[in-house]
Amino acid sequence: MVTPCLTSPVSPAARVGRQDNDQNLRAPVKKSRRPRLRRKQPLQPRNQCPLLGDSGVRDLFESPSSGSDGADSPAASAARGCSPLPGPAQQLVQLDLQTFRDYGQSCYAFLKARESHFHPRESLARQPQVTAESRCKLLSWLIPVHRQFGLSFESLCLTVNTLDRFLTTTPVAADCFQLLGVTSLLIACKQVEVHPPRVKQLLALCCGAFSRQQLCNLECIVLHKLHFSLGAPTISFFLEHFTHARVEAGQAEVSEALEAQALARGVAELSLADYAFTSYTPSLLAICCLALADRMLQLPRPVDLRLGGHSEAALQDCLGKLQLLVSINGTSLTHMLPLQICEKCSLSLSLK
Amino acid sequence: MKKFKRRLSLTLRGSQTIDESLSELAEQMTIEENSNKDNEPIVKNGRPPTSHSMHSFLHQYTGSFKKPPLRRPHSVIGGSLGSFMAMPRNGSRLDIVHENLKMGSDGESDQASGTSSDEVQSPTGVCLRNRIHRRISMEDLNKRLSLPADIRIPDGYLEKLQINSPPFDQPMSRRSRRASLSEIGFGKMETYIKLEKLGEGTYATVYKGRSKLTENLVALKEIRLEHEEGAPCTAIREVSLLKDLKHANIVTLHDIVHTDKSLTLVFEYLDKDLKQYMDDCGNIMSMHNVKLFLYQILRGLAYCHRRKVLHRDLKPQNLLINEKGELKLADFGLARAKSVPTKTYSNEVVTLWYRPPDVLLGSSEYSTQIDMWGVGCIFFEMASGRPLFPGSTVEDELHLIFRLLGTPSQETWPGVSSNDEFKNYNFPKYKPQPLVNHAPRLDSEGIELITKFLQYESKKRVSAEEAMKHVYFRSLGPRIHALPESVSIFSLKEIQLQKDPGFRNSSYPETGHGKNRRQSMLF
Repeated sequence: MVTPCLTSPVSPAARVGRQDNDQNLRAPVKKSRRPRLRRKQPLQPRNQCPLLGDSGVRDLFESPSSGSDGADSPAASAARGCSPLPGPAQQLVQLDLQTFRDYGQSCYAFLKARESHFHPRESLARQPQVTAESRCKLLSWLIPVHRQFGLSFESLCLTVNTLDRFLTTTPVAADCFQLLGVTSLLIACKQVEVHPPRVKQLLALCCGAFSRQQLCNLECIVLHKLHFSLGAPTISFFLEHFTHARVEAGQAEVSEALEAQALARGVAELSLADYAFTSYTPSLLAICCLALADRMLQLPRPVDLRLGGHSEAALQDCLGKLQLLVSINGTSLTHMLPLQICEKCSLSLSLK
Repeated sequence: MKKFKRRLSLTLRGSQTIDESLSELAEQMTIEENSNKDNEPIVKNGRPPTSHSMHSFLHQYTGSFKKPPLRRPHSVIGGSLGSFMAMPRNGSRLDIVHENLKMGSDGESDQASGTSSDEVQSPTGVCLRNRIHRRISMEDLNKRLSLPADIRIPDGYLEKLQINSPPFDQPMSRRSRRASLSEIGFGKMETYIKLEKLGEGTYATVYKGRSKLTENLVALKEIRLEHEEGAPCTAIREVSLLKDLKHANIVTLHDIVHTDKSLTLVFEYLDKDLKQYMDDCGNIMSMHNVKLFLYQILRGLAYCHRRKVLHRDLKPQNLLINEKGELKLADFGLARAKSVPTKTYSNEVVTLWYRPPDVLLGSSEYSTQIDMWGVGCIFFEMASGRPLFPGSTVEDELHLIFRLLGTPSQETWPGVSSNDEFKNYNFPKYKPQPLVNHAPRLDSEGIELITKFLQYESKKRVSAEEAMKHVYFRSLGPRIHALPESVSIFSLKEIQLQKDPGFRNSSYPETGHGKNRRQSMLF
């Protein structure tokens, strides 16, 4: 099904698309060699129309906050400007607990084991020009960009991981840093989004400072330097995993768990922009963000910090820094979050 | 071998010069940058230009954005821990401007808020750059990336890059390991001989080939990288996923050859796919072989699902089979994307025959169960010799499904009655038919298993893991469940392929199936 927002009813792409279907009545299996259609439409942010299932981790774990079901969590969907599409599954499933029972633990074990392999260490230590400050600035720009395009949190996490890992391999000049940012975004989106942003859109975002050729070349170099190892475990995955785990264990109501997850995602987003947090693994950040969210929402039964198997010292260290981060970015955070969650949580409490 | 060594020493020598020149370039660049303050000041807040240390930086850092407006829906994340800890929280820190990134450092970033489409385009919107900026020339860019000045990556550059890779002095051991791998011939196109073309798609051409290294047959999937949108998504997904999947029932990716214009994936070669296999045996497979193939599909799939990888495009054409009867999942290009559109990114048509009804009705919810419907369809096709639901459009496909399994109601599929697409189609109310009438060769256990795959509600479908334990497979013995991942089921002596009753030996040239030119390689 073609996502509705990409082709308006009058767009040539949509019409030809329909013809294509008819033409292929007989041979649905053969790949068509028709040249691909170009959309001659003005650049538009994708989130003007509802794009569903925008959680990158959706493959296994669907949750309302991932946009796949807005029914019981209007907050989550409103936050992304999404309205739920009608679909049987969306109205029924909140968390995919069945899949979680089948594969949750093995997926978790697999990704947890891979975490250190994909963890960039001191990505800026050897950079002559790129600094933590410019990294923060780039990400503070990429975060609204990713939201504007209606991209998933998973895409954002992958973008940051790709960026940081590339920085450990290659010195990058300050004025190419933005190009590296959009290139990383493009590579991340190509993995998990159905409709990644177009190169043209990304170039326009950079005000035409770079050419298509430059972007494509850099993409090629990034892929090469990272040896196509791109599927890093993300905070997004671990957040959903821990959310499923606590619900499955009967330690939280579904609605509570989902609110905590949405808030934790906001906190995690803040931490992505801050270089100080690159020293923590995604699973550690996820559990700490969730714990902090629980505290802010004053949930009666906060998440068990030991779920991720991290040391007490690491947990306290990370949690402390996150609290500090939230306290200095309180306003940013409230603007990022759905209203319903903002009202419930107390930002001041997080400082206690 | 001598030649090899000479070549190696040549490349190594070459590598040194390149490394040197690269670091020189980078250094030169840094100096240029620092002296060129009018254009691009690296530092604006009195930090000495030479200071790159993280520590000093944290203390200098002072938050880049001006006072936040009251409501910023897409607000920018400003404060950072470093700044908080190092600076007194007074207003002054907010006024310092950094221009080295040239994106919104003038405070425009605060307007990065709107949701309208204009804002993406307009330079003052999300576009976080100064209005005045110098367009970086291509030459500059390459320099900055420590690349040669020529914008086109010269032929062979990437290969060199691979050998000489780390510009930072990394441990010698790693470097030499990479060099030696490429010395043997990994990552080089010269190592592979193209034999014949097997197929061609929009983005890729597949050749049968031979590796000079091992003399084994390989399948070479050559993906063109020069596209408007850069490297194709399918290639990126397939490579990044397959690199990590090592299983007896998943096609092995032996090598990746990355040149500037193309990417060649070197796969193990398998004689045919399940579609050809079924054709070759006149669509009458031995029921024992059906069981073996189904078990192998489930085994490969369970492995993927345990790793959070969905295949999402299961069909007989993507299941490869070798002469031993080993079946392997292939073509992971669609894996992991959030939804499966009727067209892929590259506008290729995707078959609907194996797609579950919830997806056909617009559900964007994807979990491992979306693969299980397709398994049921393929199971049926192997057992009965014809596709289960060969629909040509979404409506046709749904119609075929409902005609056999019964039109769903709120009772049989909770929630379906409120699905707008379902209501709009207004299907006749069909009653479910017994599956056994359509696949008479399937025993009752097989029918029970196939019913578990063909559930309307995705969460009711049996998982691959569970299905492998089904009583239908009991006749294969207990040892099959305890095999290590990388071991083929045919390593057990009790597991043997049977002769398919409909199999036409290649000695009968009358078959009229001229396209199956490779069938003689089997048996």
